[in-house]
Amino acid sequence: MTLPQGVGSLQDGQLSDASSTSPAHPLATFFHLFFRVSAIVTYVGCDWFSRSFVGCFVTVLLLLSFDFWSVKNVTGRLMVGLRWWNQVDEDGKSHWIFEARKVSPNNITATEAEARIFWLGLIICPIIWIVFFFSTLFSLKLKWLALVIAGISLQAANLYGYILCKMGGESDISKAAASFLSQTVFQTAYLQRQQ
Amino acid sequence: MAEAAESPGDPRTTSPRPLMRDLKAVGKKFMHVLYPRKSNTLLRDWDLWGPLVLCVTLALMLQRGSADNENDGGPQFAEVFVIIWFGAVTITLNSKLLGGNISFFQSLCVLGYCILPLTVALLVCRLVLLAKPGPINFIVRLFVVIVMFAWSIVASTAFLADSQPPNRKALAIYPVFLFYFVISWMILTFAP
Repeated sequence: MTLPQGVGSLQDGQLSDASSTSPAHPLATFFHLFFRVSAIVTYVGCDWFSRSFVGCFVTVLLLLSFDFWSVKNVTGRLMVGLRWWNQVDEDGKSHWIFEARKVSPNNITATEAEARIFWLGLIICPIIWIVFFFSTLFSLKLKWLALVIAGISLQAANLYGYILCKMGGESDISKAAASFLSQTVFQTAYLQRQQ
Repeated sequence: MAEAAESPGDPRTTSPRPLMRDLKAVGKKFMHVLYPRKSNTLLRDWDLWGPLVLCVTLALMLQRGSADNENDGGPQFAEVFVIIWFGAVTITLNSKLLGGNISFFQSLCVLGYCILPLTVALLVCRLVLLAKPGPINFIVRLFVVIVMFAWSIVASTAFLADSQPPNRKALAIYPVFLFYFVISWMILTFAP
């Protein structure tokens, strides 16, 4: 399977929001976090909710699937203007396509809050599932391993897809990471000096 | 939810509502499995929702334990799940190593969707098992499972065979045969 990154940019086809302080897509923001957090909460609390392994397994799996679908198809597009998909052309070759929308200057504040929530939700949850993986492995509750692996794959797939969208024209991961780190360090240093 | 206008760059978006689009795509693929003919739909627009639903349904129905038991069918559920996904991944790797011209997810998609006839067989078997047990009961179930097994094989070969180099077709199809055979065996030997 080839993975060329075709990067396009969309025109901002959305109407600008009248209020620039509140998030433009409250429903999308809610659902972005709702499914992920519910999946984690259900997984952790299933011993208290019900004694049924199967019920818990199926519920968590359903929540993870809903989360995968909604983050991939809806919330990424609405909250940060990124999307990615797979396309198979005539001769059977499959291409992965990553797109990022050009940011319009009038919605910056609302977009920033949403973007922060989006990325935080996207990054923290796979890390939590990796922690679950190790805890399941070492406590030898191996029947949960299938579920945890499914959780990690689904969440990591979205994370990876959106990171590739975000990196866009930067085909060098190390350069992108270095620039991101330098930005963060600079901001932190600046804030510390201000205090 | 407000839907942003889709750019013409995404050819899958003929309608702006992704949920209905995806549900219709899944339904169309189920139809293609039930009436297999040479078409590229399963391969071109792959998705793994159908296989997930079928896998969960199969795993739920193949449980043995009673509802109040602590170990309520847990091992069987996870077993079926792992067998299906691990088996499908192994077959895909095998066909790729044999030089197949199909992508990883497309192959998983086809294999998963072609479990549909066997799921129908399981439903029928469970209904038949409500009747009086005996040799006739078993023969009916055997017949149904064999027919559905053949249907699954025909459906998956219709989609997968083209992507293999011609002298390797048997080598690529044999694991598919084994995969569906194992699932059919689990269905046939199921007793609630």
